[in-house]
Amino acid sequence: MENAGRPTQIVTAREAGLIGCTHCGRVHPLGTRVCTRCGAHLSPRSEASLQRVWAWWIAGLVVYIPANLYPMLRTASLGKTLENTILGGVIELMRHGDVAVALIVFVASIVIPVAKFIAIAYLALSVSHRVRLSAHRRHILFEVVEFIGRWSMIDVFVVAILSSLVRLDFAATISPGIAAVSFALSVAFTMLAALSFDSRLIWDAGKEAEQMEKERSLG
Amino acid sequence: MDEPQIAEPLIEGPKQSFWRNLSVVWLVPLAALAVTLFIAWQSWAARGQPIEILFENAAGVTADETMIRYRDVDVGVVESVSFSADLTSVLVRARIDRAVAKALPADAEFWVVRPEVSASGISGLSTVLSGVYIQAAFDPNAAESGVTQFTGLDTPPLVLPGMKGTKVTLRTADGGQLTAGAPIYYQGIEVGKIEAPRLLESGTGVVVDAFINAPHDKRLTSATRFWQTSGFSVNIGPGGLNLSVGSVAGLLRGGLSFDTVFSGGQPIGQGQIFDLYENEEEARSSVFKEAIENPVDLTVEFEQSVAGLTVGSPVVYKGVKIGAVSTLGAFIEDGPEGQIVVLRATISIDPSRLGLAPDTPPAQTIAFFAGAVKDGLRARLISQSIFSRSLAVELAELPDADPATLGVFAITAPLLPSVASDLPDPGATAEGLMKRVNDLPVEELMEQAIATLASVESLAGDENLRAAPDAFVGLMDDARAVIGGPDAQALPGELRQAVAELRGIAEDLRTAEAVAKLVTALEDASEAATSVTEVAEAFDEKIAGVPDLIDGLNQLTEKANTLELEQFLTMATQLLDGADKLIDQDSTRKLPESLTGALDEARTALAELREGGAVENTNATLASARSAAEAVEAAVADLPQIAERIDGLVSEAEGVLAGYGQNSRFNRDTLDTLRELRSAAEALSSLARTLERNPNSLLFGR
Repeated sequence: MENAGRPTQIVTAREAGLIGCTHCGRVHPLGTRVCTRCGAHLSPRSEASLQRVWAWWIAGLVVYIPANLYPMLRTASLGKTLENTILGGVIELMRHGDVAVALIVFVASIVIPVAKFIAIAYLALSVSHRVRLSAHRRHILFEVVEFIGRWSMIDVFVVAILSSLVRLDFAATISPGIAAVSFALSVAFTMLAALSFDSRLIWDAGKEAEQMEKERSLG
Repeated sequence: MDEPQIAEPLIEGPKQSFWRNLSVVWLVPLAALAVTLFIAWQSWAARGQPIEILFENAAGVTADETMIRYRDVDVGVVESVSFSADLTSVLVRARIDRAVAKALPADAEFWVVRPEVSASGISGLSTVLSGVYIQAAFDPNAAESGVTQFTGLDTPPLVLPGMKGTKVTLRTADGGQLTAGAPIYYQGIEVGKIEAPRLLESGTGVVVDAFINAPHDKRLTSATRFWQTSGFSVNIGPGGLNLSVGSVAGLLRGGLSFDTVFSGGQPIGQGQIFDLYENEEEARSSVFKEAIENPVDLTVEFEQSVAGLTVGSPVVYKGVKIGAVSTLGAFIEDGPEGQIVVLRATISIDPSRLGLAPDTPPAQTIAFFAGAVKDGLRARLISQSIFSRSLAVELAELPDADPATLGVFAITAPLLPSVASDLPDPGATAEGLMKRVNDLPVEELMEQAIATLASVESLAGDENLRAAPDAFVGLMDDARAVIGGPDAQALPGELRQAVAELRGIAEDLRTAEAVAKLVTALEDASEAATSVTEVAEAFDEKIAGVPDLIDGLNQLTEKANTLELEQFLTMATQLLDGADKLIDQDSTRKLPESLTGALDEARTALAELREGGAVENTNATLASARSAAEAVEAAVADLPQIAERIDGLVSEAEGVLAGYGQNSRFNRDTLDTLRELRSAAEALSSLARTLERNPNSLLFGR
């Protein structure tokens, strides 16, 4: 083997003139539109993918603003109505001494979504811009974002469960506010943004950067 | 293994343009943005207009929670509660609905609704759980608007702005019964409310604003009178006892009523001032003070006290009120006997009440009165009711009155002649009656009566006493028989001698002054009396059935009484002198003393009995007393006869004694008779002693 003794050069499917199915992994010749095995739509990596990410990301960010400004929960107890925004609820919980619960709510409702926005934006930008993080690390980041995104729905679940359970008419009633809907949409949009992101772009970008580096060193 | 072949490059068409490449997903953020912007705009639009309300006290008002309501619908919410710059009041910032804010006039009223328990009920109960809210009230049709600064009220206003009705002001001297929110009734229907009464600046009265709701304010005219209706009123009048009880709310808070008390009132506007009267009667009678359109003043002078007559007292004519007293005063006038004080009242007469046309000229009315006075019309004071001392002036037709004329003067009102009337003074009369009753010596009278009755009973209840009249009569009969006998007829001549001798005896007795002799003489007299009795018995047989002799004797006695009166009296005087000496002795003196002592004893016994106080005995005693009184009455009827007879007997006995010598048999008999008389006296004495010893047994009839 003439290749022995030196690192094997990774040849991507694209370089090989093939297109890989993102679902089952089977490669097809370029130009194939539909996977012959699983029937999934085959698409080459493209700028359009990044476009969709940004679109979902913006949508998510837009609805995230009212989610934080409007009340999440409307608690009517004995004629008195209390309205709490997410942050207000956290502060309220802190004031009552429930630091742990406050921390959970804070992390799930504020830290994670905000971090997700930042992470997705970072990944999307890393495709076209040079970044310090290695492609491998970026891939791990992508995986984490995709995994953890759904947990942001904790808040929405809590609101949904409370408002369906606590319906005691005059004594106590909890109903979701505008923020609950906004927040749910925001989480959904960011998840879609993460899904829309084609992780192959990370590697493409890494390859290009590698090549550029090689050319620079050769030249 | 071959070198990996380079795949044939895929030849693609020209690159699609950016726009064609645009993903449809971009619609999502656009939609999200649109929705978000819409929500933002909506919430901004719903924020409402900020207003500021100043409260003295904002208890329970909480930022972001306390709602502002108009007609019980939420129109806004309090944003912040802070203090005004000078810390004198609470500044509540709120945002209210723009539609409402646009119509808010400057006089819009805000107040905090809290739970309240009052006499008229419980209000604001819902705020116990939901917290207080701020109620707004304003007239939506008011022209002015765009004001954002208001002053809140401490208490809910009684009259909400925009309510249709008429606001009037009531004047009264005493606001003690007026409470803010007290109802105003018209024919028993609540038609309005009063606000809090307030003092006049001068401090001389109280005014209170009252609001009459719209459909009922038509009833208000210048002829309307307001009066206070306390919960219940009690009236005692000619119609009997009148008790009227209003509603419970009226009982607790008081209330007012109004009514149109005469016809022809003019419509009134807002803010009309009315007087508030103490009660309905006063309100209705007040009409005369002010409503006489064409009053004719007359002057009346009274000589008697006018206490009870006041300004406003009615003037009645045949029971119909035709006017009122308008002034009252005392004037000093020069009379023929110096200065005198005249009480002069001016009375205002309503001509229409007399049946004259309301616009009759005063001169015509005065002419009418002049004619009436000529026919006997007079003014006099009458009492308004038997229970009060208030007076009224009555114009009475008294045809018998002294002729008088209506005094017409140039300046002062015509003088209507008055007559004095006999005014009953119930107070004085009752007082006098009570005083007289009080002054009656009831106690003493009763004591005297009881003492007298007891004495009479003890006297009359004695068997011996009852027998005494009979014994006396028998003795008299005997004595008369002795005197009426044929022997006695021959006695007149001897009588003179006997008297002379008796005189001698008396002189002897006086000179002797020996008690023993007197006793002997008395013993002899006793013997003589016994003899007389015997003689009388003997005579009795002889004179039975010879009434002529008795008649003769009577005539003789009369003759003796009349013809020889001088001598007889002289002799009798001498005899009595002797007897005086006799009575002067201690033994004889004892008798009356004993009797007096007996009576005293009887009285003390009676007092003891009274103190013993046996009530059951009292009835028996009274019954006995009655029977005793009857017996005494019967006995007393006989007593004059007895007395006459004793008189006769004594005089005859004198004659007999005079006619017989000391040693004669008759004399002895006479002495016996005297002795018997003495024993009879002794018996009386023993009776007295018995009474003395045991008076109680007599009282109880034992």
